[in-house]
Amino acid sequence: MRPFKYTNAKNISSATKLLEGNVKAKFLAGGTNLLDLMKEDVEQPDELIDITRLDLAQIKIITAGANSGGISIGGLGRNTETANHPIIRQNYPLLTQAILAGASGQIRNMATNGGNLLQRTRCSYFYDVNMPCNKRQPGSGCGAMEGINRMHAIFGWSEKCVAVYPSDMSVALSALNAAVTVRNAGGQERSIAFSDFHRLPENKPEQDTNLNPGEIITAIEIPKNNFAAHSYYLKVRDRASYAFALVSVAAALELNSNKIVQARIALGGVAHKPWRALKAEKMLVGKEATEANFKMAADAEMADARPLEHNKFKVELGNRSIVRALQMAFNSGRS
Amino acid sequence: MISIKSINSMEDKNTITGTPVSRIDGILKVTGKADYSTDHPIKNPAYAVIFKSTIAAGKITDIDTSLAEKSPGVLSVITHKNAPKLNTKGGIRGGAMLQSPDIYFYGQHIGVVVAETFEQARHAAHLVQVKYEKKEGKLDFEKLAEDAVLPKDKEKADAKRGDAKKALEIADVKVEEIYSTPIEHHHPMEPHATIAEWQGENVILYNSSQIVNGAQSAAAATLNLKPENVRIVSPYIGGGFGSKGGQWGNLVLAAVAAKMVNRPVKLALTRQQMFNSVGLRQRNLQKVSLAATKDGKLTALAHEITTHAAMQDEFVEPCGDCSKIMYDSPNSLITYRVVAMNLILPTYTRGPGKSTGSFALESAMDELAFKLKMDPIEFRLKNEPERDPSNGKPWSSRTTVQCLKEGAKAFGWEKRKAEPGQNQQGNYLVGYGVSCGTYPAHQRPSSANVKLKRDGNNVTATIELAAADLGTGTYTILAQTAADALDLPINKINVKIGDSDFPPAAGSVGSVGATSYANVVNDACIKVTDELIARSGKQFFVRPTAAKLMISENVSEFQTRADSKELEGAENYSSHSFNANFAEVWVDISTGMVKVERFLAVTGAGKILNPKTARSQIIGGNTWGIGMALTEESLIDPRWGNFATRSLADYHVPSNLDIGTMEAIFIREEDKAGNKLGVKGIGEVGIVGVAAAIANAVFNATGKRVRQLPITPDKLL
Repeated sequence: MRPFKYTNAKNISSATKLLEGNVKAKFLAGGTNLLDLMKEDVEQPDELIDITRLDLAQIKIITAGANSGGISIGGLGRNTETANHPIIRQNYPLLTQAILAGASGQIRNMATNGGNLLQRTRCSYFYDVNMPCNKRQPGSGCGAMEGINRMHAIFGWSEKCVAVYPSDMSVALSALNAAVTVRNAGGQERSIAFSDFHRLPENKPEQDTNLNPGEIITAIEIPKNNFAAHSYYLKVRDRASYAFALVSVAAALELNSNKIVQARIALGGVAHKPWRALKAEKMLVGKEATEANFKMAADAEMADARPLEHNKFKVELGNRSIVRALQMAFNSGRS
Repeated sequence: MISIKSINSMEDKNTITGTPVSRIDGILKVTGKADYSTDHPIKNPAYAVIFKSTIAAGKITDIDTSLAEKSPGVLSVITHKNAPKLNTKGGIRGGAMLQSPDIYFYGQHIGVVVAETFEQARHAAHLVQVKYEKKEGKLDFEKLAEDAVLPKDKEKADAKRGDAKKALEIADVKVEEIYSTPIEHHHPMEPHATIAEWQGENVILYNSSQIVNGAQSAAAATLNLKPENVRIVSPYIGGGFGSKGGQWGNLVLAAVAAKMVNRPVKLALTRQQMFNSVGLRQRNLQKVSLAATKDGKLTALAHEITTHAAMQDEFVEPCGDCSKIMYDSPNSLITYRVVAMNLILPTYTRGPGKSTGSFALESAMDELAFKLKMDPIEFRLKNEPERDPSNGKPWSSRTTVQCLKEGAKAFGWEKRKAEPGQNQQGNYLVGYGVSCGTYPAHQRPSSANVKLKRDGNNVTATIELAAADLGTGTYTILAQTAADALDLPINKINVKIGDSDFPPAAGSVGSVGATSYANVVNDACIKVTDELIARSGKQFFVRPTAAKLMISENVSEFQTRADSKELEGAENYSSHSFNANFAEVWVDISTGMVKVERFLAVTGAGKILNPKTARSQIIGGNTWGIGMALTEESLIDPRWGNFATRSLADYHVPSNLDIGTMEAIFIREEDKAGNKLGVKGIGEVGIVGVAAAIANAVFNATGKRVRQLPITPDKLL
């Protein structure tokens, strides 16, 4: 590990100013991803600004503004506490399921909500400093494109990068139309729609998100919804626990008897960001909640997939997983 | 004589051996007081970090260590340019001891940084700049397999009985398929780690070693020392699974580093480094051809294996061993072919050859049973050999039939549907699978001290031998054995192992540990009693215990040493442990995810010294077998020769959630053909056959036959 300076941020303002003042600094929250990357020499910050003592861990009902009646979860809330919060369990069970599908109990106890959003890809070419990787070292090439890419993207990849984004929590937040509240060194806050928070790789795979330098995630807001009775997070993986998704699906339905009023579908493990299946969602609105309709929507969405050499199975798996997740959501989580 | 009884054939007298005594070292381990290799308290240690090649073939043309040397805390940077001359034929596996600029595999050790702290050393290792002359590596096994040749190892010569090829041509029913198993890694909980401390011309190596005396002789020969100048201290081992049987570069590089900085040095491999530092289970392509008559009698069994070795050395795991002895076939053919690759040397890995070989054989048996429309158990019973088919010797004992029959009953095999895909439960297809396995049973030469001490009427015994405990229970079974042989309470027995200063002993490898250690300890305890009787000069109607003699003869200290080996005549028998494995899997219809809901291993392994630690060994082996079946695979990027799987996030061992109900049943048997105590060893057999039982269950559930492990969800879509 390279030597680095450790700074304890006293408040949000000083944290963001410190970050803005040093392009080589990083925030340290749970550290569950960053410290691994530093040990591997992938991340090379010269300063860590410890933000764990900032007052950004609350979970509270939003009482004003566009998301009034929804819920705000603090950027520094721990994943475990967020998943198990009674209001989240009651009203946003999709988020609970997604968080608990990720990592291990020990990691979720350490990991923060903001940090979960900012996890970096687990692409092994990114992790291995001796391999080419445009995300780690712009211009060095993409090792995975012609390499071992079973775990990689089937949507939205570019010639520069085929990595996938690893978070489960974010897949649920994407489906729930969450927004990310960020604050900059000047104290100004802005809200970023979840779909705009993470980026596709395009020509700049080194940039995972649309956060500006010096910005801190203060909260994640989830608007009120009518999905609690019919939502499901399905994660398909190589083992039952502690593995990244081959494909995951966050599915949520708002029903009027058997008719679909609103559908939300987001996929994980298939793209550089949570992949909203907007085409499928649109097709389902106004339709009966039947397996045939679920299949039709899944077919439409997966038709656009562009698999690589080793991940062709993800197209069929994604298709089946969408159908299964919608069925499970429709059946309120019972198979 | 040899007899097998299924119930209560154990000794009549009350013994502590054979009872489920909890590990006597358990408290030390769960309280963190057991000193594993680098835990030993050492004054003023320096820390060494290895750095590795980033090409697979070629040579180092320049290695610039100047930045690393200037980095804070760095004491020394060792490369082939300044390393002392070592004997590369000394017995350290895998080369990589900084003796030349030549590179034979990606991740070969090319240097060591020694610093005041581990973090400083690791950072400085990143600062070393290496220039290479790169050659095209031999890295694509599929392509190279066509050019594979006969191994140098004579044990791997073509073994023919009858004419299997011809029998296959004229067969009523046959199966000819290729089964593929991937590269696997051992990944014990404790990575390989060494402390080296020089005392003048002598060096103490605190090192995790499955073979204490093997580590001593390899280190001595490599460092150009006499064995008596090297002491190995290895009281506790955090798992090894074969990777700590042979010794690897870390052992001697720690000694070299300590010499160069004139201080004790701690050297521990990182988890990432474990992928290409300590051997691996090689990839195997196995063609199994079986032929049978319509009523299910085997007429041919051919097992043709193709695998890879390293550029400088060869290791070929014996995948054909199960096929040699498991079934009665008049025509048999077993062949091995091997091709050198720019990869680290493969090595012994739990159930070497048998675990991978049994996947191929026992899958093929299942395929043929299905073709014959026979129950796979019935098919196996029909082809049970009366004698060892490979050499005609009688079995010392063979429990395959009992394992199958008792297992079928315990597992509820009758509930299995013969046709695949017929048992749907909600979103799952449920299937049952069975397989058989075996592993040779031997006692290896070992010696042990027993030292008796009397304080008033309190007699205690200390047992000393250079044995190893991989976490399997060696301490406990030896305390049990000595307690019975001396007729002392177990808490009066002090077991000391894992030190080359003790009498030499076999390794805890190849399932010989328990057999070799327990027998020599038993012999030593009997001998010490005999010697005390002789010393008294008296005659006894009832044989007194050693403790009573110590008291009555007023002896304060007394000791002896025993040297034991396999019984004479053992070579006239074929001695093996046997098992039958039963798996129930639930396969998700949509996603292809497999859950092993229930697993039962029925094992005949001679006398079970401790059913509690034995059960742990068996279900541990079963668990790795489940990993082999479903999750474990290491992938090489042939453009560079590196592993794309390079952490335990990519290389999936089973998690707790992957493991359902695990049950272990031991067949009671008495088999004293090879050793006095009738022990057979259980370390390896627990993994043998497991992957096939699961693959067969997956077929029974889904109708899909997966011949390429692991059975990941994508293979079942």
